[in-house]
Amino acid sequence: MINALRWLVFAIAAFAMNFPILVTLVTSFKSTRELSTNPGLWVQAPTLDNYLAVFQVSDRLNIFLYLFNSITVAFIGTTLAVVLALPAAYAIARGRLGERTLLPFIVNLRAVPLIIFAIPLYMMFQWLALLDTRLGLGLILSIVNLPLALVILVNAIRDLPGELDEAALMDGASRTQILLRVIAPVCRPAIVTSLIFGFITAWNEFLFGLMLTTSKAVPITVGASFFFAASGGGVQWGVASAVMVVGALPPVLLGLIMYRQISGSMTAGAVKG
Amino acid sequence: MGKISLRKAGKQYGTVEIIRDLDLEIADGEFVVIVGPSGCGKSTLLRMIAGLEATTAGQIVIDGRDVTEALPVERKLAMVFQSYALYPHMTVRQNMGFGLKLAKLSSGAIKTKVDAAADTLKLTPLLDRYPKELSGGQRQRVAIGRAIVREPVGFLFDEPLSNLDAALRVDMRLEIAKLHRTLGTTMIYVTHDQVEAMTLADRIVVLKDGRVMQQGTPYELYEKPANLFVAQFIGSPKMNILACKRNGDGQLDLSGQGFLEMPLRSDAVPVQLGARPEHLSLVAPENGHCRGTVEAREYLGGTTSVFVRNPELGLINVSAPAETGFGIGETVGIHIDNVRLSLFDAAGAAVISSR
Repeated sequence: MINALRWLVFAIAAFAMNFPILVTLVTSFKSTRELSTNPGLWVQAPTLDNYLAVFQVSDRLNIFLYLFNSITVAFIGTTLAVVLALPAAYAIARGRLGERTLLPFIVNLRAVPLIIFAIPLYMMFQWLALLDTRLGLGLILSIVNLPLALVILVNAIRDLPGELDEAALMDGASRTQILLRVIAPVCRPAIVTSLIFGFITAWNEFLFGLMLTTSKAVPITVGASFFFAASGGGVQWGVASAVMVVGALPPVLLGLIMYRQISGSMTAGAVKG
Repeated sequence: MGKISLRKAGKQYGTVEIIRDLDLEIADGEFVVIVGPSGCGKSTLLRMIAGLEATTAGQIVIDGRDVTEALPVERKLAMVFQSYALYPHMTVRQNMGFGLKLAKLSSGAIKTKVDAAADTLKLTPLLDRYPKELSGGQRQRVAIGRAIVREPVGFLFDEPLSNLDAALRVDMRLEIAKLHRTLGTTMIYVTHDQVEAMTLADRIVVLKDGRVMQQGTPYELYEKPANLFVAQFIGSPKMNILACKRNGDGQLDLSGQGFLEMPLRSDAVPVQLGARPEHLSLVAPENGHCRGTVEAREYLGGTTSVFVRNPELGLINVSAPAETGFGIGETVGIHIDNVRLSLFDAAGAAVISSR
């Protein structure tokens, strides 16, 4: 009985929290005609017309380009952040370098509204010819991702026993070798976690995408908004929903696939226990 | 070769001096155990020798070469850590071969060396396992194996057995002793466990507040402690320390509680007498050098520790036969073996009697 109640509460909570997603998903399968007559959570005559419209490439709209742009900028923004954060985290955790001022300062950057950076960045990018380029947007996203990656990695490295480094030193490893061949593999769960969070943040980023891109490097978040009123007149809810579903799929799939990597401790057996 | 010398070596953290003016000569092939209470600097000393801790004063010389500023790997020493510090993402084989791989040995040479070390340590069936799949004792053996494969000039052990249970500790102790006999390599071993120190060492170095209190064979330290600290630190149960003074008749006055015949050099002024529990025996009250009341008994199987309270001398631990008849509350006499006791002056230094 209690178990059944528990499931009931769980189901209600899951439904309530995922309601917007459900509505979007259902709407994406409704025809324009049905949308005006049936506002409910079911589909009378499911159709793929909205998806076909989304995948139709035209002069103005190209979903494949937006997806490709998003994947590229998210990849740059994520890997670059982790590549920069890992040695920094090692220096902070082990060398206590910048632990007092630099780390809190960088972490606090995350608390500042991103719009503050908008104007100087726009001017800087104009000067560097990085406006409307995937590299430019990727670079910015790596800065957005850096603080969280740094915090995750600093904590992960701090949790590792220092004797691990010392054993490697005795074995003749240089600091770089210790970082790459001992610390990095042992910190794999933390690195994967930073990559996943970074990818999701980068994928969902809207502000810089809107500001710094116009056509060639438009990411899916910004590109999706182009579909809303694609044919003029009012908002095409069906098409808009379909493009949102397409845009949301990659991070969801990534999360599901990579989840296993996050769990499971790699350090088991390193030291006594 | 593995001759290690410390010359006026010192270690300072800011204004705190951990090791001061320490001189130590370790011969090739010698097994030296460094003991001392927590915070005496013994692990720091070992880490200085290893090169993991910078030496702030003096010199460390290995085989005639000044290595004070050298990197750990250049000192050709291997270290076994208290926590084992195995690489968790590598198999036993990879753990043991990591140092060789970094030294750019061919994979064939690495395999030969790792297999040989694994054979010595009976690790062959475990070579493909990960550290998390091993028991504590096995992990410790892998840590030792990782040290052996590099064929170092000396081994450094930092309390290697303290994470093992009592039975396993005895086994590993024997294994380390055997390893030393087989390899004949210099070993420096840090521990707070004096049983390990007594059983393993060719020479024990007792450290306190970063200074050497005494160094010598286990026998010397036990029988002829140079000072009060060593006397009390070495030996379990601890040595009894009784207040005493010299009187005109060449006798020792036990705080007015009794007298002891003790021929002494004319200038010796002992104020404390040290007697190990096994050098005391319980006798009838009128026959002892002093007397007291039995306050507690601890049956230890082979012997019984009898704690006798004397109003002036305090609690005295006497090692009695296991089946001793003296019960709690009984008044007993204590006989002191005056041949094997130690005497200390006011500064805590040993006083040599004229014997």
